[in-house]
Amino acid sequence: MGQGTPIGDKTVLVVEDEALLRFDIVDFFAERGWRVFEAGNAAEAIALLARHGEIRVVLTDVQMPGDMNGLKLAHYVRERFPPTLLFVVSGEAPVSREALPARATFLPKPFDLHRVLNQIERSAVSIPRP
Amino acid sequence: MVVITLLLGGGAGLWATLLSTLCAGYVLLDPPTPGNLSPVRWTASALYAATTSGLVGLVVVLRQALRDSDAARDRLLRVAADAADREAFLTSVLASSTDCIKVLDLDGKLTFMSEGGQHVMEVSDFNAIAGCPWPDFWTGSGHVEALAAVQSARAGRSASFVGRASTMRGTPKWWHVAVSPIRGLDGTSQRILSVSRDITALRESEEERDRFVRLAENSTDFIGMAHVDGRMFYMNDAARELVGLGAADITALVIADFFPPEEAAIVANEVLPAVGRDGHWAGELRFRHFVTGEPIPVLYAMFPVTDPDGNTLGYGTVTRDFRARKRAEEDMRMMNGELAHRLKNVLAVVQSIALQTLRNATDLPSASQNLSARLVALGAATDVLTGASWRSADLRALAEHALAPHGELGTRIVLDGPAVTLQPQVAIALALALHELATNAAKYGALSTEAGRVHLAWQVDGTGPEARFRLTWREQGGPPVTKPARRGFGSTLIERSLRSYFGGTAETEYRPDGLTFTLDARLGDAALEGENG
Repeated sequence: MGQGTPIGDKTVLVVEDEALLRFDIVDFFAERGWRVFEAGNAAEAIALLARHGEIRVVLTDVQMPGDMNGLKLAHYVRERFPPTLLFVVSGEAPVSREALPARATFLPKPFDLHRVLNQIERSAVSIPRP
Repeated sequence: MVVITLLLGGGAGLWATLLSTLCAGYVLLDPPTPGNLSPVRWTASALYAATTSGLVGLVVVLRQALRDSDAARDRLLRVAADAADREAFLTSVLASSTDCIKVLDLDGKLTFMSEGGQHVMEVSDFNAIAGCPWPDFWTGSGHVEALAAVQSARAGRSASFVGRASTMRGTPKWWHVAVSPIRGLDGTSQRILSVSRDITALRESEEERDRFVRLAENSTDFIGMAHVDGRMFYMNDAARELVGLGAADITALVIADFFPPEEAAIVANEVLPAVGRDGHWAGELRFRHFVTGEPIPVLYAMFPVTDPDGNTLGYGTVTRDFRARKRAEEDMRMMNGELAHRLKNVLAVVQSIALQTLRNATDLPSASQNLSARLVALGAATDVLTGASWRSADLRALAEHALAPHGELGTRIVLDGPAVTLQPQVAIALALALHELATNAAKYGALSTEAGRVHLAWQVDGTGPEARFRLTWREQGGPPVTKPARRGFGSTLIERSLRSYFGGTAETEYRPDGLTFTLDARLGDAALEGENG
């Protein structure tokens, strides 16, 4: 689905039900010239992903209301949009490497957005541009 | 001559008679010549001899009679002595018996009590109880049994029972009583023999044993015993219940059957050797439920069961169900996890507030002041949430906590609304928003003048899923209001966060007579279901 659409430069989807936290992340990326989509649950996130194939980075919280938590969403994203950079955030016990989708980064709350950005920029170098 | 006969017998008497006859003849005839005696003399002499001889014979018979009488008297004395010996023997037997031996008449009245019996019954004067009805000495069922036993004995049958009776000094005792008829020559019951034995000590040891048995049976701990080869022979009800055996036959089971395989190996390789070596073993193991197979965490303690000589008869265990303890440990672990989770979330919120404050700051001193005040507001919201185990927050309490630092409640800030219970995240956002509203009011609005007032009102409209929650913040009496050229983080946070959390509309109106903020949302998105009217 996403393969046909060119991967957008600097487009991020923030999935976090806690609005106070989401605003900070959204503002952080927005200030740095990113196009930011935000979702409060997995269903909203999936709808946004379907509409915006240009989303290159997904940063999702694990604990969220609804049928699908952030971890399931991450697996869904990895399967449906394989090149997407994935960050999985949780305030609970760290998610094991086996439970994470391939090439996903686990971030324990609270986390440092500057390091996330560094990691995105490093990986951008290795992603071949179309 | 009579005296000689008496003393020396009939033979000597006859010789004395002959001698005396000759002497008499000689004296009378002077000198007597036997051939010259006249017939008269012969006759007289013969008569004398005959008379004297008869006397001697009489005395002989008398002497024999006297001798016979002596023998009879000796025999009589010997019989009497024998009887006395026998009686002394019987008396001493009765006296030395520790049984209480009594003789009753056919009406059951006491006529005799052995000396030993008086001792064990602590009777100081038998006369005081002689004639008393014996069954009356018994209490409770013993009385009924005693009456029945007397009746049986009267009918010629023996009976026995165990009963409780106090001694004459009031010492309560248990007795085993045998009651039997004493038959006369015609075979009918003449009197009644009652023999009571003091079994108090035996009874007490039985009672003590019974108490231990009851202790084991009623214990809520698993109590079991097995032979040396591991075959079970005792389990209390709690044990059967714990492992789901119910009333099943346990004699075919062995110790290893109670454990999952890996735990059975521990019992065989560690527990049993330790019991043999140290006399006990205790530790955490898991039983296996016989029906569901579910593992049951237990605190297992094992010890050898020995006879009085110290020989091992088998193994005993008193085992505690550890499921509740394990659940409590699990709950504690979960709570710790939950606490860590909340702490991290709060830290993330603090991080977010700090970063947004700094991001929107015009200068460092105001950023510092704003950040401090926001963290205080967050702390106030946390207080309200903690009071409800972080599950919910009462809107009024939350508003009071958030607004109290900004002005006198009830006069300068008036709260008005029904009880509404908010979800935790919503509560934090609302507390922070109210803090921002009050801060702005104190800087530029109604709370910046003496006369200004703030009215915070909320209401719930409708019921069920469509119920609406409306909240209004209205400032009055402040300086004239103008819309600010630049909206700070506070204002942004108010509308943006409340819109997001409440899923409705949140608007600020800069009316000239005072700022008004309104929130309109579905009640279900903000409040906890079923807890609001």
